[in-house]
Amino acid sequence: MTDHIVSAFDADLKELGDKLAEMGGLCEKLVAESIDALLRRDTPLAKRVIEWDRSIDRLQAEVEENAIRTIARRAPVAIDLREVVAALRIANDLERIGDLAKNIAKRVVALEGQFQPPKLAGGVAHISDLTLAQLKDVLDAYTRRDETKAVEVWNRDGEIDALYNSLFRELLTYMMEDPRNIGFCAHLLFCAKNIERIGDHATNVAETVYYLVHGVPLTDERPKADLTSATAIDFGR
Amino acid sequence: MTSTDVARAAMIAPVPARSAAQPKVHVGAGQAEKITIRDLKFFYGDSLALKGIDLPIYERKVTAFIGPSGCGKSTLLRVLNRMYDLYPKQRAEGEVLLDGIDILSPKLDLNLLRSRVGMVFQKPTPFPMSIYDNIAFGVRLYETISKSELDGRVEAALRRAALWNEVKDKLDASGLSLSGGQQQRLCIARSIAVRPEVILLDEPCSALDPISTAKIEELIDELKADYTIAIVTHNMQQASRTSEYTAFMYLGELVEFGETEQIFMSPHDRRTQDYITGRFG
Amino acid sequence: MSLMAPIDHSASRPRYMRRRRLNFVMMSLSLAAAAFGLLWLLAILSTLVFKGVGGLSLDVFTQSTPPPGSQGGLLNAIVGSAIMTAIGVAVGTPIGILAGTYMAEYGRHNRLTTTVRFINDILLSAPSIVIGLFVYEVVVIQMGNFSALAGALALAILVVPVVVRTTEDMLNLVPNQLREAASALGLPRAVVIQRIAYRAARAGMITGVLLAIARVSGETAPLLFTALNNQFWSSDLNAPMASLPVVIFQFALSPYTDWQQLAWTGALLITLAVLTLSIAARILAAGSRK
Repeated sequence: MTDHIVSAFDADLKELGDKLAEMGGLCEKLVAESIDALLRRDTPLAKRVIEWDRSIDRLQAEVEENAIRTIARRAPVAIDLREVVAALRIANDLERIGDLAKNIAKRVVALEGQFQPPKLAGGVAHISDLTLAQLKDVLDAYTRRDETKAVEVWNRDGEIDALYNSLFRELLTYMMEDPRNIGFCAHLLFCAKNIERIGDHATNVAETVYYLVHGVPLTDERPKADLTSATAIDFGR
Repeated sequence: MTSTDVARAAMIAPVPARSAAQPKVHVGAGQAEKITIRDLKFFYGDSLALKGIDLPIYERKVTAFIGPSGCGKSTLLRVLNRMYDLYPKQRAEGEVLLDGIDILSPKLDLNLLRSRVGMVFQKPTPFPMSIYDNIAFGVRLYETISKSELDGRVEAALRRAALWNEVKDKLDASGLSLSGGQQQRLCIARSIAVRPEVILLDEPCSALDPISTAKIEELIDELKADYTIAIVTHNMQQASRTSEYTAFMYLGELVEFGETEQIFMSPHDRRTQDYITGRFG
Repeated sequence: MSLMAPIDHSASRPRYMRRRRLNFVMMSLSLAAAAFGLLWLLAILSTLVFKGVGGLSLDVFTQSTPPPGSQGGLLNAIVGSAIMTAIGVAVGTPIGILAGTYMAEYGRHNRLTTTVRFINDILLSAPSIVIGLFVYEVVVIQMGNFSALAGALALAILVVPVVVRTTEDMLNLVPNQLREAASALGLPRAVVIQRIAYRAARAGMITGVLLAIARVSGETAPLLFTALNNQFWSSDLNAPMASLPVVIFQFALSPYTDWQQLAWTGALLITLAVLTLSIAARILAAGSRK
C-alpha cells in the first residue's frame, strides 16, 4: 500500500500494528506456557503465566488508546478505518485469549497436590496443539493481510469443536468410572473449554482479517461442531 | 428504471474478482432517477474536461461528487443547469436527461431549466439588495402574486433555510450585511424560493467556519425530503456525512459511483481508496 | 533559539546599516516629491481664493457680464455652462453606459470590444481643442453660425469616453459569480444586467458620470470654436452662449481690472464646483467598496 501524504498517519498505523504484533506474540506464548504448565503440572510456570497476563491487558489498553486517538485525529476512512477497527477488535480477542490462558494457569495452581491420573491429559494435549496452530496461523494471516489463510483458520475451527466434543464425553466417562477423578476432571474440562474458546477467538480474529481485507463481513454460517451444550448424559445406563 | 439501467449502474464500478464472496450490489437499484447522464463529454475549447460520464442522480437523495481539483466535478455540476452556456467556447456532448427530457438540447428554454435546477456557489453571492428582495426577486420574475402572498413565500423560504429567526427583524437590511454563513443560507433560501426540483451545491461550505458548515449540512439533510441534491465538495467528511450516493471523479472520468457508505468503508477502485484515505501522491 | 533572545545583527551589521540609510534617503526623496506637488496645488488654490473672494457678491450670480468699466456679474456664463454641461452629459452618458455595457457584458472578449476600447482610450486622451475643431467643421460650418447646441455636442463627445471607460471597468469588477448566481435563478440576461450587475456597479458608474461632469465643466477649448461666447443673457440653443471657462479666458486676457477681477471670481467658482464633484465622487466610490 502506498504511503499517506501525511506521514504521521502512517506512523500512527504502524505503531498500532506493532503493538498488536507484540500482543499476538505474547498471547501465543502465554497460551503455550499455560498448557505446558497444565500438562507438566508446573505450578511456578503457571504463576508466571498469571503475571504475564497483565502485560497483555496493558497492551490492549494501549492499542485501544492509540486506536481512539487515531480515529479522533485522523478521521480514517475505508482501509484505514478498517485497519483501526480491526486492531480494536483483534486486541479485544487477544485480551480475552490472555484471560483464558490465565484461567488455565490458575486451575493448574488450584490442582497442586491433587490426585492426577496422567493419562487423562492426553486428549487436552491434542486439542491444545490444534488451537495453538490456529492461533499462530490467524496471527500470520493478520500480519500478511492474507484473507485466504484467515478463511482456512475459520473453516478449521470445526475440528477443535469436534475434538472438544469427544474430550467432553471422555472426561465424563472417567468421572463416572471413578468418583475420585471428578475434581481433577472437572478442572480439566474447564481447561478444555477454555482452549476451545481460545479457538473461537482465533476464528473471530479470522473474521476480522477477512473484513479488514474485503470491507464486508464474512457472512457464511460457520460449521458449528461444539454440541456439548446440547448433549444429554444418560446416567441411568 | 429498466434492467439495462440497473446493469449499467452496476457496471460503473466493477467488483474485483477476488471479492467473489461479497454480494453484488446494484447501486441505487429501485430508486427513481431524477437526472440520467449518458456518455457526457465536455469541452473547454479543444480540451476535453469530461471523458464520457455515465451516472444517475436519484430523486430526493443527496449525491456527492468528490475528487481532486480539476477532476471535472464542478464542470459536471455546471452542465446540469447549463451554466457553461454563459461562456463562449464551452460545450457538452452526450445526453443529460432531466425527467426524461434532454437538457443539452439547443431548443431548451434555459431560464426555465434553471428555475427547475437551482444552484448555490462556493462563495456566498447575495445580490446587492435587501434580504427580502434577495428572495422576492426570483419569485416576482416568474409569478405575479400579491404582496401578502410574496411575504409568505419569502418567510417560508427563509424558514426552510433556517435563517428566519436570525433575520426576521431586519428584512430590509442589505443581504451583504449578513455573516458568511448567513449569506450562504440566504442564497439557499433564494434558490428554494423559486421552487426548483434539483439543487446543485458547488462547494457550499468551503468559505465557512465549522459552525456555519454544520448548519448548512443540517439544512441539506432536511432539504432532501423535497429536493434532489447534488453537492460538490473537497471535504470528504462532508460528503460522507451528507450524501446517500458518492461519485469519485478523477481526470475527467467517473472512477467509482456507489452508496456513500460503501465508497467510504470499502471502495472497489484502488484510486478511490487512495484518494479518500489521503494517499494520492 | 528562544523567541526572547535578542536578534544578533553583528554578522550582518554593515549591510543592515546600509539598508537603513538607503531607506532613509528614498523616503526623504518621496516625501519631498509629494510636498513639491502639494505645494503648487496649495499655491494655486490660495491664489484663487485670495484673488477671487474679493469679487464675490450677490451681483456675480444675478447680473450678466458687463461691458468694460461697468458693474456686472457672471450669471449668463454660469447658466450657459450649466445648460451646455447638462445637455452634454444627458447625451453622452446613455451612449457611454450602453457602449460600456456591451463591452463588459456581451462582447467581453471579442474583437469589436478590443477595437472600441482602443479607440475610446485615444478619445479619452485626445486634446479637447481637436474635438472643438471637429465640431466646428461638422456642425458650426454646416449650420452657418456658432451655437450652444454645437458646444453641448462637443462636451458630449468628451463625456462619452470617460463614461465608457468607467462603466466597463466597474462592470468588469462585478464578480462573475454574482452573474452566475442570478442566471442560476433562471433570470434572463437582460434582467441580470439591469437588476444585478448595474446595481452592484452603481456607485462606480455614478462616480464616472460625476467625473465626466467635472471634466467637461472646466473645458474651454471645445467651446471656443462652437458656443463661442455671448456678452448677454441668452437661453437660445441656436445662438452663441456664454460659459464660465470662455468668459474667464476672455476677461483674464483683457486689460480691464474689473474684468480681471470677474475672471478670478469665475475661476474660484469653477474650481469649487469641480472640487465638490470630485469629493462627491470620492465619497460614493468609498461607499461602494464596503
